[in-house]
Amino acid sequence: MTPLLLTLRVGILATCILGVVGLFLAVVLARFRFPGRVILESVINLPLILPPTVLGYYLLLLLGRGSLLYDWFGLRVIFAWPATVIASVAVGIPLMVEGARAAIESVDPALENAARTLGSSEWEVLSRITFPLARRGIIAGLILGSARAIGEFGATLMIAGNIPGETQTMPLAIYDAVQDRQYAEANLMVLIMTGLALGSLIAARWLSRRRARPEASWR
Amino acid sequence: MRVATGVRWACVMLFALLFVSCSRTKEDRQILVSAAADLRPAFSELGRLFEAESGTQVVFNFGSSGQLAQQIIGGADVDVFASANLRYVEEVERSGLMLAGTKALYARGYLAIWWPPGSPLSISRIEQLADPSIRRIAIANPRHAPYGVAAREALTRAGILSAVSSRLVFGENVAHALQFAATGNAEVAIIGLSLCLQSGGHFLRVPSTLHEPLDQALGVISTTRHPREARELAAFITGPKGRKVMAKYGFTSPGHAAKDGRRQVHHGAQP
Repeated sequence: MTPLLLTLRVGILATCILGVVGLFLAVVLARFRFPGRVILESVINLPLILPPTVLGYYLLLLLGRGSLLYDWFGLRVIFAWPATVIASVAVGIPLMVEGARAAIESVDPALENAARTLGSSEWEVLSRITFPLARRGIIAGLILGSARAIGEFGATLMIAGNIPGETQTMPLAIYDAVQDRQYAEANLMVLIMTGLALGSLIAARWLSRRRARPEASWR
Repeated sequence: MRVATGVRWACVMLFALLFVSCSRTKEDRQILVSAAADLRPAFSELGRLFEAESGTQVVFNFGSSGQLAQQIIGGADVDVFASANLRYVEEVERSGLMLAGTKALYARGYLAIWWPPGSPLSISRIEQLADPSIRRIAIANPRHAPYGVAAREALTRAGILSAVSSRLVFGENVAHALQFAATGNAEVAIIGLSLCLQSGGHFLRVPSTLHEPLDQALGVISTTRHPREARELAAFITGPKGRKVMAKYGFTSPGHAAKDGRRQVHHGAQP
């Protein structure tokens, strides 16, 4: 598969995983107070600050030959395409969780409580009140997380390698093309990635800004 | 309204999931070869010839030999490993990942100093690299690239390592080092001869007496799912057809030294 297709595949899968896992973590952090909450928060945000090589190193220890997952569970993702998704999700999680959490926390608790007094279960409160009201922020977080996920390079290089047709996503392909002095190829890919990044940032901005009318979910 | 939206989203999700799950399965007749960066031009041609002859598709993963070995030992699903030395192949073998009897020397490589076309430099001896006008010398990273080790060794034996060590720039592999020089970010690069033959510019062969011979070995990885095709490729590379292609790119047969003739400097584009 070409770098573009590989990148799209990573993007789609990473977005799905970020959406589910990120939203879950955001709800946990927004709703519950528990000992160790600060630690959980910090660990989630680590990939934002850690050098990608440190993240890659940890993932290598976790997934590579000699690890529990590799030896005992037979998990073979290292230097294969699933590893690109794992690295991408790891770096996208902080952005998704923070964006979604801020949006969820900003939902008026009075509305949620009103639903509870009317007999809604917690899940119903979440799905019918909280998420729809917070959806712009959640989507903005998802867009930023996905954009960051698609652009991952360092950790991907360390646990997925730069194997053409298998794990060579576009950021890696750009690196390869520059090394091999294929500048026309590199230019094209750079333009595509820049376009994607700019587009994501603009979309996220636009989504976060529009809070003209509070949108009710009964329709 | 909500139901319809939900159905639409479900369709999009389904389509997306179908898209991501279709990937080329390893059941195809395709083998993955991790090969040292100095082999890119030679192996690209070899790969095409082999494909035409055997019908097996070959995909190359080029990099520095040490990095490739690390990937294999770390669990990469590679069929054949062609290193720029013997040591990394032996390391993979010691990890129990090499198919018995497949370790084989396939070529001897050579070192050369390369500088770009249009450069005012004129280099006829390696000692000239100590000249301060050569501000940056690019070599492959000796930590994981055999040609980088050889380059550093050559500089040492030529007696100029201490003079130039602060001016060395490390590329990930020889191709990367070449790129530093080709873009003018380094004045010269000390890389594999095979890359010089393809790249225009000027090059000067480094006398083989200045470094340990670059005897290059390959092997079939034991976890390969295509042992037959992998062995066929290994046999092709070490056989007469392979030797002919390698010779075209400046390699000699393993164990055979090229003559260090007088006229070693080449200018302009090579065929």
